[in-house]
Order: sequence, then structure tokens, then C-alpha cells
Amino acid sequence: MNHREIVLYLVNIPFELVLCGLVYGRGLHRRLPFFAAYSTVFLTCTLCFGLIYQRFGYQSFTTYYAGWIISGVNLLGRCLALAEFCRYSLQAYKGIWAISWRILGFLAVLFLANSAVDSWGQPNWIATYVLTIERDVGISSAVLLLVILLISIYYGVQLEPVQKGIAFGLFVLCVVDAVNDTVLRALFTQWILSWSHMRLRAEEVNDWWNTIRTSAFVFSMSIWCFALRKPLPALNQQPELLPANIYAEVSPAVNMRLRAINDRLLELLKP
Amino acid sequence: MKVLLILLPFAMVVLGLLLWLLRRRPNLNAGRASLENAAEKVLATHYRYFPQVRQALSPADTRYLLRRLPPRIAKRVLRERRAVARKFLAGLHQDFSNLERLARMVAALSPVVSREQEFERILLGMRFRVLYLWTWTRLSTGSVSLEPIERLAVLIGQFATRMERAMAAVAAVSKEEGLSAGLSA
Repeated sequence: MNHREIVLYLVNIPFELVLCGLVYGRGLHRRLPFFAAYSTVFLTCTLCFGLIYQRFGYQSFTTYYAGWIISGVNLLGRCLALAEFCRYSLQAYKGIWAISWRILGFLAVLFLANSAVDSWGQPNWIATYVLTIERDVGISSAVLLLVILLISIYYGVQLEPVQKGIAFGLFVLCVVDAVNDTVLRALFTQWILSWSHMRLRAEEVNDWWNTIRTSAFVFSMSIWCFALRKPLPALNQQPELLPANIYAEVSPAVNMRLRAINDRLLELLKP
Repeated sequence: MKVLLILLPFAMVVLGLLLWLLRRRPNLNAGRASLENAAEKVLATHYRYFPQVRQALSPADTRYLLRRLPPRIAKRVLRERRAVARKFLAGLHQDFSNLERLARMVAALSPVVSREQEFERILLGMRFRVLYLWTWTRLSTGSVSLEPIERLAVLIGQFATRMERAMAAVAAVSKEEGLSAGLSA
């Protein structure tokens, strides 16, 4: 761990403490329990890391394995927080949520399958797979966030400012992780065969990787803290849903009309 | 390094897209009130003026003007008619968007939604926008005749009546429920 990383590590802790305080103080844990758990995991992991570094040093195998385990826990926490965010945004609108979760699930499976296919046959398959899966989780999370925002805009569902802040923070983390993992994976698969020559270079890259990641964490946490600076607004009343027969009557009628307008426009363009 | 050079601008674009998506927009929080508002918008639209537009674009009218007017003025009249046709198209675009919006609101406030209907509407929306752009360009360059536009205006008028009936059903349900809520209170 170099000087830059130590400074960032020390900056990280107060941000995490403030975030945890705001999450529980504002009562966000009652609305988004997985996100609250994720912010707690952040803080716990950072403190655990500090203790492990102090006890075993930076270069030990224990630190190495602890690092991967903590990364895995963080990744899992983020996935759960994201899934919860998607559900919380649209769950009140039963009809569109029933469609949306299928689309989101399909996209998530697609990206994970892609990572499996992509890493197959690469040198040092497991290491490449870990980097690939992390990259693809980042990409799929970013895509899912964009899709959920597009769906909410398409159907006119307004997100609360806190939800927007959480979405933006998660998105920054996902994008930075995806870019970072892509670059690291490219270097890794390209130079794995001449590892002994590249060791110093790889360690330097790894330092930068950690610095960029930690800076992204700090940036995301500051966005979340900013979003939580005011008390949360009272929960929106559940929207009053229409009887099912209204949709059955109106939707086909509207679609038929739209279709006919399109057909006539097409006819108009024929020579 | 090459990967980074490709990825960084891409990441910036995606971040910009997210910020654009997060900006404030009209919403459904007003529930049924916004639905009724949307229904009113669908009814009070451009189709009410389409008979006049149809008359202005009718080929018989054009032929009469071409026969009676000097060529220079006739050309100007034709140009102005194309401008009217473009305005008609813009009105059509607005009607289409209002209709789409209403259908989305009904879908959002419905407990059960049909996947087929929703996907069909998304595709219809995309198709309309492409066709609209293409028609607008061709109208501007004068390479489309005004006669089919007249047929389009007839179609809009026919469908308006059907939509009025469907909207009356929505309004009736809203009133009934409002009444029963009032009685039970």
C-alpha cells in the first residue's frame, strides 16, 4: 500500500461513518434495508481491512485472500442493493413491475452468461473469470439502472431525490468498476505468459486500480450523503390502481389507432 | 491503453445519459387526476380542425386554383399548402404522443398489463417516429402528393369517435368510484 492509498483509506472511513449515520438516522433502512446493509458492509469491510493490514502486513497471503473475500462481499451487497432499488422504484405499479422484473432478470442473466463465455479458454481461467464476472456485473448493473430509469420515465413514474442520488452513486461505482476491470483484464490476459517480467508493472497498475476504485467509492458516498442531507419525505401514498377492465378496453383501442395511423403514413410514402 | 481510450469517452457519454434521465419530469404521482387530464388532452386535439385541413388539401380545390390562378401565384399557393400539410403532420405527431401517453398512464395504473400490448406500442411508437421524419422530409422537398394526407385526416376523424367512447368509459369508472367513496365516507 503506497502513500496515496493510505490517504484515500483514511479519507474513506469518515465518509463511511457519515453515510451509515445518515442511512440509519434518516430511517432509510426501513425503506431500503439492503442498501442500508450495503453501507454497513462498506464500513465493516474497511475496518476489517485496516485490522488485517496491521496484523498480517500488505504482502501476506491472508491479506490477499481477505481482499478477494471482501471484494466478493461488496459485490454481492451491491447486487442486492441494486435489485432492491429496482423493486422499490416500481413495486407500487403492479402491472408494469410484472413486465419490468422479467426484462431486468433477462438482461442480468444475459450479461452473466456472456462473462462465462468470454472467460472460457483464456489462460489462467479462474483469475480471468473473476475479473470478467466483476466487469460484467458492473456493466449489467449500469445497464439495469439505465433500463429502470427509462421504464420509469416511459410510464411517468417519478423517483424521489434520494432514489435518484442512490441510482447515480451506484451507477458511478458500476461504471468505474467496469472500466477498471476491462483494462486490468486486458493487461492480465495479454501479459500473463510473461508474468515474471511484468510483475513490477502489474503491481503499479494494481496500485492505480485501487486508487481509482477507492476514489470512486468516496465520490459515490459523497453523492449518497448529499442525497440524504435532508430528512426523507413521507412515503408516497400507493397509487390508486384502475380496474383491470379499463386497460383491457383502452389499450387495444389505442394500439389499433396507432397502428392505423402508421399504416396510412406508410401508404402515403409509397410511390 | 487503446481499451482505455475507447472506454473512457464511452463511460462519460453513459454518465451524461444517466444525468439526463435523472432530470425532473412530469409524473404520475397525481394518480387519477393526471389520467383524467391526459384523457381530456386526447379528446381536445388537432383532429377537430382536420375537416378544414382536409378541405384545404383537397385535390379538387388545388386543381381549381391551378386553373384559375397565374402560374407564379399557383406555385406559391402549392408551397403554402405543403406548409399546411407539414403543420398537419406536426399536429398528428402531437396526437400520437398524447395517445401514447394516455395508454402508458392507463398501463401504469393497471394491476395487470399485457406484455404483447406494451411491446406492440413501443414498436408502433418507434415506427411512427421514423415514418414521421421521412414524411416530413419528403413533404418539404415536395416529393409527396397531398391526396393521401387527406385520407389520413379522414382516418383521424373516424378514430376520434371511438376514442371518445373509450375515454367516456374511463371517466365513468372514475366518477362511480368517487361516488362510492363519497357514500362510504
